Amino acid sequence: MAVDDDLQLARAVREATLATGGVHSLGTGRYAEAATYGAGEKVSGVVVSDDEVRVHVVAGYPLSEPIPALAERIREKVAPRAGGRAATIVVEDLEVTSNEGL
Amino acid sequence: MRVFNRLVVVLLLAGLVALGISAFVYALDLGGHRLSSVPNTLGLSSAYEGLDNFTRNAEGGNLNPLDITVLVVVALFGLILLLFELFKRPVPRKVLMQQGTYVTRSTIENEANAAAEEVPEVLQSDVDVDAQRKSGAKVSVTANVRRGEDTSRLQSDVQERVQKRLAEVGVPVSSLKVRVLEADPRETKTRVK
Repeated sequence: MAVDDDLQLARAVREATLATGGVHSLGTGRYAEAATYGAGEKVSGVVVSDDEVRVHVVAGYPLSEPIPALAERIREKVAPRAGGRAATIVVEDLEVTSNEGL
Repeated sequence: MRVFNRLVVVLLLAGLVALGISAFVYALDLGGHRLSSVPNTLGLSSAYEGLDNFTRNAEGGNLNPLDITVLVVVALFGLILLLFELFKRPVPRKVLMQQGTYVTRSTIENEANAAAEEVPEVLQSDVDVDAQRKSGAKVSVTANVRRGEDTSRLQSDVQERVQKRLAEVGVPVSSLKVRVLEADPRETKTRVK
């Protein structure tokens, strides 16, 4: 049951993160896959543990604001869905979304 | 510690190479000696004898106080090193920007690279980023330029650009080292800009 709850939470966090302006996509982890696993399903880019929800993001480039500000906005969206857990944001990469200004 | 580890590995590998070569030479009977006569040739017989005496004394409980002291010191030293290695806090892989926010080293490397290569004279740049337990990254940039360029001016140009770019991105930098090296354009990523 807890696995299902984690999966549900991870899905909600994924949606909230992707709905944040400036986020290009979710990352998949650098050294190990960052994902929450459930029966026959996994949510990549979100790792739910007992006391933390870790979100791996790829930010869009050029950045409209510094990374810490973007991370704060993501955290604001994610926190209400994190079930009281601390939200950790990991910016894995920057992905060019527009050639303007490059 | 890294230097010590490297030294140990180099000595070990050198020993293995020497062992392999000598075994090969002896296998082809090129050495002119019998393999069994090597300890005598190298004068190891007395060392074997000493070792034999030592083990016999240890088994018989007849070790002298100096030997016991040395053994205890060696054991304690080994134990301390073992504990130090087991409980050493790992170096973080990601750079802490602020509480709960991290950025990967490769992201910083890409940004610093792009900033360094904005300087027209820079033909290639290599960036190395180290994470720390505290907030901030240690960034080291090596920029390659053509021979005859004003390296001290270029060093400050590159430093300024990288610093500015990382500040725009919001990456806290605890140290930024820039080296400008003269290079042959045929060996760099970009030959002409």
